[in-house]
Amino acid sequence: MNQDPGGLMAALEHFAARVNGDARLRKMIADWERTIALEGSDGAGGGLRVSGGRVEVVDLPAEPDIRLRAASDILEGMFRGELSPTEPYVDGSLQVQGSQEDVLRLDFLSLMIWGE
Amino acid sequence: MARRLSVVSVSLGSSRRDHRVEVEAGGCIFSLARVGTDGDLDRAEERIRALDGTVDAIGLGGIDIYLEAAGVRYEVRDGVRLRDSARTTPVVDGSGVKATLERQAVEELAAEGVVGRGTPVLLVSALDRFGMAEAFAAAGCALACGDLMFTAGIPYPIESLEELAELARKVLPQVSRLPFGMLYPTGEAQDRPPDARFADAYRRAEVIAGDFHFIRRHLPERMDGKTVVTNTTTAEDVADLARRGVRRLVTTTPDMGGRSFGTNVIEGMAVAYLGVRPEEIGPADMRRALSSLGVRPSSRLLEVNGA
Repeated sequence: MNQDPGGLMAALEHFAARVNGDARLRKMIADWERTIALEGSDGAGGGLRVSGGRVEVVDLPAEPDIRLRAASDILEGMFRGELSPTEPYVDGSLQVQGSQEDVLRLDFLSLMIWGE
Repeated sequence: MARRLSVVSVSLGSSRRDHRVEVEAGGCIFSLARVGTDGDLDRAEERIRALDGTVDAIGLGGIDIYLEAAGVRYEVRDGVRLRDSARTTPVVDGSGVKATLERQAVEELAAEGVVGRGTPVLLVSALDRFGMAEAFAAAGCALACGDLMFTAGIPYPIESLEELAELARKVLPQVSRLPFGMLYPTGEAQDRPPDARFADAYRRAEVIAGDFHFIRRHLPERMDGKTVVTNTTTAEDVADLARRGVRRLVTTTPDMGGRSFGTNVIEGMAVAYLGVRPEEIGPADMRRALSSLGVRPSSRLLEVNGA
């Protein structure tokens, strides 16, 4: 997997730009109000706020609705589209806290952007 | 003397819906049973191992072996695991029957004028019954496929087969590897009271079709005048649909002993009757077997406020 020099925050900006630039994806999150925390095992961290049909990159939220924990390169890979969240989720290298439906929605969104 | 054949459906669904019945069809006596394992994949695997070699066919309920769209098949990891836990008895998921009976059910509705050009149809999930989606589209219906809505809560109906195929290409190679219970209500999730989250989508549709557990998951209080096309309904389910005002219930599998079994059971009957491996049965063979067994969709008008 390629390591991005900009790190996790750059990957999150990349993800947010992809969602915000796609009318169909914005429709898919139109009703979704969530904060998402990304915690890298090396201490890297960041967050996403989904609100009003847009995604915004924020600092690591203290009380997120969804919390993702994994090695930083896994988190970066996921939000850069180089890695599906399914694989690390199934093999246990990605830990997820949050409602199952929220997790699935995040998974579907990333696959709609980068699947195939 | 009539040939006796035994088919057991091992389901990830709730054991509250278990059922056993004997039916005569095609000159045979079929013993049909449905055994729910309450969402426990390990228990389902154990049951299949125990049944292997002792019955004529095993059906998988509450899970698919394959999902299919636009001619591409995607293996469902948990479904394959269950299929492969039997060494000798054929294991089927009902996909062959879905591709024939469900298509036939829609074609009959079109012939009767119940559906036609512009009829708004909510197909709660199409990736497990692409044939039904194709049949509604061929009849000219205004199709809304709820795969994203009913699986992941995403309020986005898919309105064309092309977009559905795109979704399948992008999502299924990965999502089919997730624990199936994340994608579909299994075990006690099947007994939860419905929440009417997508009431607008139900309200807009004249016909609500597809998997009954998905239909029930977000069933609104009122369904006045609607047609429901589904299967695996119990007498209790039918009474509930009638109470909500459903006008017509079409079950793609026939009523047997007070309920319509899943397509996996009907496919198990066909496989047992033909005495061949499931992979040796093409669509034409399946149609012939179902015809010999007298299996066809059934349609009935429900009495409002009573079944």
